[in-house]
Amino acid sequence: MIRLHHVYKRFAQGDEAIEALSDVSLEIAQGECVVLRGASGSGKSTLLSLIAGLAQPSSGEIRVLDREISKLPEHLSALFRRAHIGFIFQKFHLIPGLNVEENVIAPLIPANLPLHVLQEKARAKMEALCIASKAKRDVRRLSGGEQQRVAIARALINDPVLILADEPTANLDAKLSTELIEHLYMLKQSGVTLLIATHDPLFFDLAFVDRIIELKNGRIV
Amino acid sequence: MLANVNVLLLDYALGSLKRQGGKSVFILIVLSLLIFLLASVLMIADAIKLELNTTLKTLPQITLQRFVAGKQTNVSLSRVDTILAFNGVERVMPRVWGYYYFKPAGVNFSIVGVDAYEEPYKKRLSELTRTFDLLTLEKEGGMIVGEGVKNVLQENYYSDFFNFITPKGERYPLKIAGVFHSDIALESNDLMLVPKQAAYAIFGMSPEEATDIVVHVNNPVEIPTIVQKITERYPDLRAITQDDLRISYQNIFDYKSGFFLSLFIVCVFAFFIVIYDKASALSSEERREIGILKALGWRMSDIVHVKFYESFVMAFSAFITGFCAALFFVYVLQAPLLRSVFIGYSELKPPFRLPFSVDVKMIVLLFFLSVPVYIAATLIPAWKAACLDADEVMR
Ligand SMILES: Nc1ncnc2c1ncn2[C@@H]1O[C@H](COP(=O)(O)OP(=O)(O)OP(=O)(O)O)[C@@H](O)[C@H]1O
Ligand SMILES: [Mg+2]
Repeated sequence: MIRLHHVYKRFAQGDEAIEALSDVSLEIAQGECVVLRGASGSGKSTLLSLIAGLAQPSSGEIRVLDREISKLPEHLSALFRRAHIGFIFQKFHLIPGLNVEENVIAPLIPANLPLHVLQEKARAKMEALCIASKAKRDVRRLSGGEQQRVAIARALINDPVLILADEPTANLDAKLSTELIEHLYMLKQSGVTLLIATHDPLFFDLAFVDRIIELKNGRIV
Repeated sequence: MLANVNVLLLDYALGSLKRQGGKSVFILIVLSLLIFLLASVLMIADAIKLELNTTLKTLPQITLQRFVAGKQTNVSLSRVDTILAFNGVERVMPRVWGYYYFKPAGVNFSIVGVDAYEEPYKKRLSELTRTFDLLTLEKEGGMIVGEGVKNVLQENYYSDFFNFITPKGERYPLKIAGVFHSDIALESNDLMLVPKQAAYAIFGMSPEEATDIVVHVNNPVEIPTIVQKITERYPDLRAITQDDLRISYQNIFDYKSGFFLSLFIVCVFAFFIVIYDKASALSSEERREIGILKALGWRMSDIVHVKFYESFVMAFSAFITGFCAALFFVYVLQAPLLRSVFIGYSELKPPFRLPFSVDVKMIVLLFFLSVPVYIAATLIPAWKAACLDADEVMR
């Protein structure tokens, strides 16, 4: 499913170069749930964006679904994300001013599908997450828990096979964190591959987590 | 082209303009205002140029005035035949005109002597006059007067005729045979059109003389040569050609509009900086939104498309608004305030209506000065933001 082969990522910061990732190699099988653990600045987010094709590695090779995503040009990697990857951000990152339904269909707007098709897809996801009754409400007027569910519905709108979650519980209280973990568990049950970057201890002894990978200063330990 | 428009992206762009609310409204207003100003100035300049050209066409090709001791005096009619004999001269017309001081009202009337049967006048006169009786004018000694003259005379109890006093102290009565249309009132207000022999009598001029002489030539290219020949033959004659007039009109017009344009360009520039600042500076929310959309699977081109729709809708509606407002302002309201910038021109010629003339070239120029420039000014920063790694949203 995911294969990283001697991946390096450097950022130039003034004169000196920061090595955010060095010599990272790993493999994640289909349907696996993997937690990426590490202190702040250890390179978790960087790794996720490389896997999503949002940035390119300085060297090394990244294959996702047997496609070498690190070599894809920008527009193809975007299409790849649209087709296969769902994203859950820390702080939800909903688009303020749009309502729930518009936020949920946002990933597929450029896909040139008829609006009613998108709305049907969105309805199914919103019903599964119990937010269908709020479909026309501005996301700024939702509770934290509802916002979180909108973010999950949005990540699922394209029926992804891989979900990348970056610190999904960073801004949540204990109750919402538990709720989120339940949603992730259901996704795992449905066969989706999960990669969760976090330093939240809640994730470290969950039964459905298959593996914990620890990053330290950009290296796997 | 239309088939390629992704309706949902367009809808997203419109929604995004709505979400930006105040910023969109501000840019729309400033941009419309800018286009309105640009369009107004171009339209006024264009209308004045048109008016100028029509006026110039009616001016005589050559006007000959005789100067003695630096003062203009009458010309002997005997010169008419001599001048007519020059090669290239088509027509020579002696003119009789001057001013008549009407003491009771303390005003000057402009008197122009005409032969009503002379071809150039006959048709024009009936066109310009409200009520016009050719017979009265010629046979019984009548005149055509402007609205203003008529009013002044009526106030002084002359309702259908007027007694001129000749320099010899004799009375010379003329009937009012017609009044000029009020739509040329401003030009004809103080005018009295009288038969030539009446003009001679009123001015006390010898019938062997004229006030000045107007010359028409076959080929306008020959004007300078003919002028040279005439002034060599009659050194006391001064020639004013259509070109002299054109140049002096044009100079004043160009000076005024040039002065105005340079001021104007500074304004445009200032406006543009405001617009550019507002339109191109992406707020941190906008940048974040771009980052989110990229992570969600939008291509850079999708984002640029949305921005393109946004700025196109913006620039196009501003263009339409500004342009229509300018049409209304210039042609319906007759450009109050802005018009007075060109006042130097209207000093030479009495106030006039700006003639309606929409130059397609001007519209195209205006369009390309505004719409694509604005789109480029907003697209480039959006493109740059979309190029940046989207990992800002990952923090
Ligand atoms: N665009 C960038 N330019 C320069 N340096 C960067 C950039 N992105 C990340 N870095 C650096 O790379 C390192 C890894 O960053 P990253 O965001 O991956 O850490 P993280 O593990 O996600 O941390 P956190 O838990 O705080 O989110 C950090 O030192 C960071 O400063
Ligand atoms: Mg991070």
